[in-house]
Amino acid sequence: MSVGGLLVAVLQQVIDGVFLGLFYAIVASGLALIFGVMDIINFAHGDLVMISAYFVWLISTYLNIDPLLSMLLVLPVLFVLGLAIQKGLINPVLGKEPLIQIAVTVGLGFVLQNIALGYFKAEPRGYPNPVFSEGLSIGPFVIYESKLLSAAVSVLVLFLLDQFLSRTRLGLAMRAVTDDRSSAMLMGINVERVYLLTFAIGMVLVGVASGLWMEMGQVWPYLGTSFSLVSWVAVALAGLGSIRGLAVSAVIIGIAESMGSLISPSVKMAVVYLIFFFILWFKPRGFFAKR
Amino acid sequence: MTRSTLLSIALFQAALLAVGFLVSGNNYYMLLLTQVALFAAFVAAWNIIGGLTGQLDLASSAYMALGGIVTSLLWMRLGLPPVVGVWVGGAVAAGLAVLIGIPTFRFGVREVWYALMTASLVVILNNLFRYFMGPWDFYLPNKWGWLYLRPRTYFELFIIVDVVLLAVILVNIYISGSKIGYYLRNIKEDELVSEAVGVDTRLYKLIALAIYSFITGAAGFLQVVIYSSFSYRLFDAGLAISIAIMGIIGGLGSISGAIAAAVVFRALGEYLRSTLGGVIPGLDLLLYGVALIVVGILKPEGLAGLFNQLRRWWRK
Repeated sequence: MSVGGLLVAVLQQVIDGVFLGLFYAIVASGLALIFGVMDIINFAHGDLVMISAYFVWLISTYLNIDPLLSMLLVLPVLFVLGLAIQKGLINPVLGKEPLIQIAVTVGLGFVLQNIALGYFKAEPRGYPNPVFSEGLSIGPFVIYESKLLSAAVSVLVLFLLDQFLSRTRLGLAMRAVTDDRSSAMLMGINVERVYLLTFAIGMVLVGVASGLWMEMGQVWPYLGTSFSLVSWVAVALAGLGSIRGLAVSAVIIGIAESMGSLISPSVKMAVVYLIFFFILWFKPRGFFAKR
Repeated sequence: MTRSTLLSIALFQAALLAVGFLVSGNNYYMLLLTQVALFAAFVAAWNIIGGLTGQLDLASSAYMALGGIVTSLLWMRLGLPPVVGVWVGGAVAAGLAVLIGIPTFRFGVREVWYALMTASLVVILNNLFRYFMGPWDFYLPNKWGWLYLRPRTYFELFIIVDVVLLAVILVNIYISGSKIGYYLRNIKEDELVSEAVGVDTRLYKLIALAIYSFITGAAGFLQVVIYSSFSYRLFDAGLAISIAIMGIIGGLGSISGAIAAAVVFRALGEYLRSTLGGVIPGLDLLLYGVALIVVGILKPEGLAGLFNQLRRWWRK
């Protein structure tokens, strides 16, 4: 490969990495919100994205509409599901040892994975008639419409989330609870209610992530595992408290994964996780933490 | 070691051997029993870092695969018989664990971050192995005998695995009653407090990690023997999580609970997979998930708590 050809290949990977990273930012935002506000360690996060992606797929194939439209129908379902999971599974283990929280959420992840495996079987499912499947050529680079659209939705949702957290009463209450739970309680914030709504909003973000994913790719029962890990890596890199920081971190991870696949697709995750090791060793509070 | 501990070990061994003799005519059941016993040994080894020390280590399949593969490669490439090789395999696994453990404990990586770090170690090794050795299955040479820890009959293999399991149980009991064991439990209860009272928490966590990874690495070769082959898929993140799950369901820190969980759930899981696996795939893993949720929410002391309750009820 010539130098120019290599440069084009690398830049193409960077472009794809940015798109992937913006998607990861949405996946990680739900996790970061829940972890930040409630201090709950959720190992089932990626599996929730996976189940939600199956919902999107079901609606898309049944009504024959684009995944991004089905996503809008899925969001209220996930909000309610979030309330139920929070009441039934998360509330009983709030404030318990991390190991117990991990046990319960790993259990939830196993249940979701194997319900999906039993019901939908192992083969990947995708929406068969995507509208935005063309690739746009810009110079030597190719950009897929679906990725561009997902990235736009992702940026919009992240912007709305940031505004929500800084401008609404509920958003401010969430940030107050993140900063200091007991003081927030003393200031008259109903922490129970904040927890409930936080989890439900986190699940809505899960729904957005699943819609974006189905716009670009396919779902299978074990899809969620890597999403869980990558979201945690993004949270580790960013630290808690800043949506913009989380977005930047997720994009860095997306680019790293994309560049890794340039070496070989089989080592791309190794590259991401090696970065993770070094963050945990040398920068355990992340780069963008507010506290 | 108390008399009741000795008695329970003797009873457990007698029961295991009796089942072994009963099914020794049937190769399928024999292999199944061997696999269950080996799985129990991995869970018992995990109990040292997870149950006693309270570190949620999700890398046991990494140490298992690394030890097993090093032993196999030493045999295939250099002709070193596995009877010797397993010690090297265990040492390599422990060496890697300590190498990563030193900075990890130095920089205070704990709880969820430790769990995620160890889980990603499995993926890293999986990817690296696949990159450098390729996606192929490597088969063990056509040599059999005790020298290679690869006897001709499944019954003999079962005996080897059973001896390993017994050894791991004894190591657990020994550590648990020793000074190190008290330090480890102290760390599990509250790491900051134990640091404050002068326990070198880093050193003792490293010791627990080294013992656990050495045992897991050395016993890893037996897993390769059961499969007769190895590939990058031996670095299996799901298996590592299952092993930790058994430790949690068993009741953290209780060796009898951990072994009971491993035996019951693995055997039940294999049974469900062989009978209903074609109709409802993943039923065995679904069961793990439900058990975890139930234990986590209702009974954090796990099977061990259940045992204690039964014992109290019996004495009344």
